[in-house]
Amino acid sequence: MIRLDNVTLSFADRQLFNGLSLEVPAGGRLLISGESGSGKTTLLRMLLGFLPPDKGQVIVDGERLQVDNVWRLRRKMAYVSQEMQIGNGRVESFFKEVFRFKNNRGIAYQRDQVIALLDDFQLGSSTMEKDLEDLSGGELQRVAIIMTLLLDRQIYLLDEVTSALDRPLKEMIVNYFTNLEDKTLIISSHDRVWHDQGFPTIHIGKNGSST
Amino acid sequence: MEAAPDITILRLLAAFGLLIVPLTLSFFLRLGFVRQLFISAGRMTGQLFLMGILLVYLFRWDNPWLNVAWVVVMMFFACFSAMVNSKLSFRHFFLPVFLAYFVGTGLILLFFNKVIVNYENIFTARLVVVVGGMLLGNSLNSTIIGISHYYEAIRKENKRYLYLLSLGADQQEALLPFFREALRAAMRPFIANMATMGIVSLPGMMTGQMLGGADPETAIKYQIAIVLAIFTALTISVALSIYFTSRQAFDEYGILKGSLFRR
Repeated sequence: MIRLDNVTLSFADRQLFNGLSLEVPAGGRLLISGESGSGKTTLLRMLLGFLPPDKGQVIVDGERLQVDNVWRLRRKMAYVSQEMQIGNGRVESFFKEVFRFKNNRGIAYQRDQVIALLDDFQLGSSTMEKDLEDLSGGELQRVAIIMTLLLDRQIYLLDEVTSALDRPLKEMIVNYFTNLEDKTLIISSHDRVWHDQGFPTIHIGKNGSST
Repeated sequence: MEAAPDITILRLLAAFGLLIVPLTLSFFLRLGFVRQLFISAGRMTGQLFLMGILLVYLFRWDNPWLNVAWVVVMMFFACFSAMVNSKLSFRHFFLPVFLAYFVGTGLILLFFNKVIVNYENIFTARLVVVVGGMLLGNSLNSTIIGISHYYEAIRKENKRYLYLLSLGADQQEALLPFFREALRAAMRPFIANMATMGIVSLPGMMTGQMLGGADPETAIKYQIAIVLAIFTALTISVALSIYFTSRQAFDEYGILKGSLFRR
């Protein structure tokens, strides 16, 4: 569950949100729309506790997000943004490295599962051997998504994740996430495909207004 | 072997005469260096003469405390220079970088003087001031490269850093790839340089010692030891300056503070 209570936030001398409130229940969906620069990315980053609101509160699963619980609450969420930067090295080394993080030691790295996901996302198992730097934007995007799926988080924050992909891939990814029925999805996107799903939608305006 | 003959002032002026070539080039090709070249050459001359006078006294008195104090002053200048040449804020970085130099260069200097050279008095000026200066001067560049690379990468690849945090990395884990890449960038030039030493370049210390009348065999052994010492000192200094600064460069949410960079 994610809730915003009366959140006010200014960023880089501009007021982005003024008294913004919203609630997404567990397993719920929310689509955020708005022009570029309206603060969609900032909103998602605020949910992850990457920047605290000036006023109001962010509540994740009943807990108010603050300094002493932000690191734990982040682990309930998965975040993928547009134009991902992952770094360099082999794709499989990247997957393995994430599984070596102390917080992820409880989850086993299963190669079969990774290959199945690569297949699902039309990448093919040879991607494992490729260098991250040789992947196209769209491929990198999908690798980033697969990584979050492997961690099996409860809440997915997807920031324009389909914008760099062609139409069949867009549809494939939208379908994939729509079928994850028990997951909470918060999506920011311009893509028609997401808007056609009939998810509850919030529109963020230029002057901190929201509808 | 006899010591190098002195250079008279008149002959030193001939060395300045060499500057006519770069100056002419700079003037006609409008490289925009003329003024800067005069200033830089002037500073170099002034600083070295001052250093010469200082060294005369440091060598004459040869007081261990004074020698160590002088190395600390040099560290201060090295640190200052590293800051000026990076885009990082003095307030956040000066002390940690200074501390990194102090530990990195200090430890290696002691090791060099005690274990490698083993003079009776390891705090004698010719060891502390001269070797200390070499260690510092050579770690300076690497520290600038390393520390700038680290913070600029985190800023430029902010998405990567945040993504790693969102994947469950704690702060150290999310910073590790940046630390790794910064160290690589800082160490790589010296490693490459080491491989060509003696073929492409005759290093400064050796040249100096041999001109000063030392036996080439001794000069080479000193050179090998100093190169290894420099490399280790710079590695420690770079790693520690990133480590020490990193502790206060992020807020409690794990985000890089914007105030770290000078405008």
